[in-house]
Amino acid sequence: MKKKFRRIRTRRLNRSLGGDIFNIVIITIFGIFMVLPLIYAIMQAFKPLDEIYMFPPRFYVVNPTLDNFTDLFLLMAQSWVPFTRYIFNTLFITAAGTLGHVVIASMAAFVLEKHKFPGSKAFFTMVVTSLMFSGAVTAIPNYLTMARLGFLDSYLALIIPAFGYSLGLFLMKQFMVTIPDSLLESARMDGAGEFRTFWKIAMPCVKPGWLTLIIFCFQSLWGQTGSTFIYSEELKTLPYALNQILLGGFARAGAGAAAILLIMIVPIVLFMATESSVIQTMATSGIKE
Amino acid sequence: MAAIKKKRRMGLEQKRAMMGYLFVLPFVIGLLMFFFFPMIQSFIFSLNVIEVVSGGYSLRPNGLNYYRNALFEYVSTSNQGKSFMVLIAEGLGTMASQVLLVVIFSFFAANLLNQKFRGRSIARAIFFLPVILMSGVIVTVDSGDLLQSSMGMTQTDAQEGAFQAVALARVLLSTRLDPRFIDFIVSAVNRIYEIVSASGVQILVFLAGLQSISPSLFEASNIEGATGWENFWKITFPMVSPLILVNTIYTVIDTLTNSNSVVMTIIRDEAFRSAKYGLSSAMAWIYFVAIMLVVGILTGIISRLVFYQE
Repeated sequence: MKKKFRRIRTRRLNRSLGGDIFNIVIITIFGIFMVLPLIYAIMQAFKPLDEIYMFPPRFYVVNPTLDNFTDLFLLMAQSWVPFTRYIFNTLFITAAGTLGHVVIASMAAFVLEKHKFPGSKAFFTMVVTSLMFSGAVTAIPNYLTMARLGFLDSYLALIIPAFGYSLGLFLMKQFMVTIPDSLLESARMDGAGEFRTFWKIAMPCVKPGWLTLIIFCFQSLWGQTGSTFIYSEELKTLPYALNQILLGGFARAGAGAAAILLIMIVPIVLFMATESSVIQTMATSGIKE
Repeated sequence: MAAIKKKRRMGLEQKRAMMGYLFVLPFVIGLLMFFFFPMIQSFIFSLNVIEVVSGGYSLRPNGLNYYRNALFEYVSTSNQGKSFMVLIAEGLGTMASQVLLVVIFSFFAANLLNQKFRGRSIARAIFFLPVILMSGVIVTVDSGDLLQSSMGMTQTDAQEGAFQAVALARVLLSTRLDPRFIDFIVSAVNRIYEIVSASGVQILVFLAGLQSISPSLFEASNIEGATGWENFWKITFPMVSPLILVNTIYTVIDTLTNSNSVVMTIIRDEAFRSAKYGLSSAMAWIYFVAIMLVVGILTGIISRLVFYQE
């Protein structure tokens, strides 16, 4: 009798060995598909020039070298505008755009999910609709709008459009669903204003949500060349400058590979840093049902 | 007296509505400026012939000619002379299988990643990697020569996949299943990379959904003697079913408006390579309406099957 009881308990608490192996195998198979491009980019950055142009291309590097990075830094040092300026531009645009987007999209998502005022449904439909329209076609009208607003040739041309990026609102609204209404209700009872309820109660609850948003927004702004809207050399972004290096011809391929790795690595590091919170347990609302 | 009472009650509701409007206002302004006005402008462009004159452009009314042109006369030279409508239909066909596979795969992956095992956080990070790699940097920098060779990697991947799939197709054909079903499986195998890299966001959404299911539900059903299989279909599945709707819509939109898709490429090329801006706008509007129809129909069907916990 006692023995039988124990067997059931062990089955409940621990997964069977077979199930574990199955999990690991499946995850490894798909995982390999996902890491390959990253590993390839890393390999490329350490390949000497003759290996980069090898045909058929070889995946791994035989004689790893740091020449590509020294080349890249030499090219950077020769640049017309001090290279740190490009880095600052990109950092500033990315930080301002991401911050604005996360706050504005979360505010909108919060009231759309938790207030249900007249017209909120129509507005959300409009947001989803805007996800469906081709970006290529709005490119020219967008340019005209920018010109009319006087945003051309300034940081604003890249920062402000990031604020109204619909995907963020769409995702954020899904996360807002998980906040229990009773939690917000009790905050209001205690006399918290609407903004305070949003900022101090709702936002901490959906931390994984806005961390995800930060990652999305960061990486889309981080890769922005902005060459359509910004003409002054001293306002141009890092990817633009690195692109110029890439376009320098065959001999620059090594430096280019190093540049790509450097650009790629920043969002990945950001993701690694926030990952544990992004995909943490969501059920931490503090409400007992 | 009655007037005052009425006014006060309206006041409370109005106050909440006002707060709502205030909170969405910044977003609305952004949406109007950078999406709605450009969209309307592109509609105006699609009804006019645009001529570049010194100091700007001038519009000459053209009625629905561009729409007629796009629907009935346009032939794509880069796609074996297929018409625009045929290309849209083909695009929708691929989309259907893609969406099915992505949603199933991401649900499956989310369930795996939701379980407790060693190295779970690393596995999750890896599964989210393609989202970072694909959508941001690589796509924007790809005008560089070198990236072509970087991306060559994925092409050789796909080719290897194709070779494997030929062998698979032979095995499947020998089982005398429906050829259409075999086609589906083979194309799925060929597109593993594409599917896996398109499901990052969906996995994340499903994971969030899975983790918001209250553990007390499982506790209760375990006490009643339910098996893991029953738990999955009776608790997990209904609880995340609203997210299946969300993910389906997201995947449909993501697949169709992907800047690499055939129709999007044509729209872009017409505008910027052939400088037929009006025609391109008309095509974009036709495509937009098609996508809206698809999303509308899917929402209608799926939302009937979705379970909402009240």
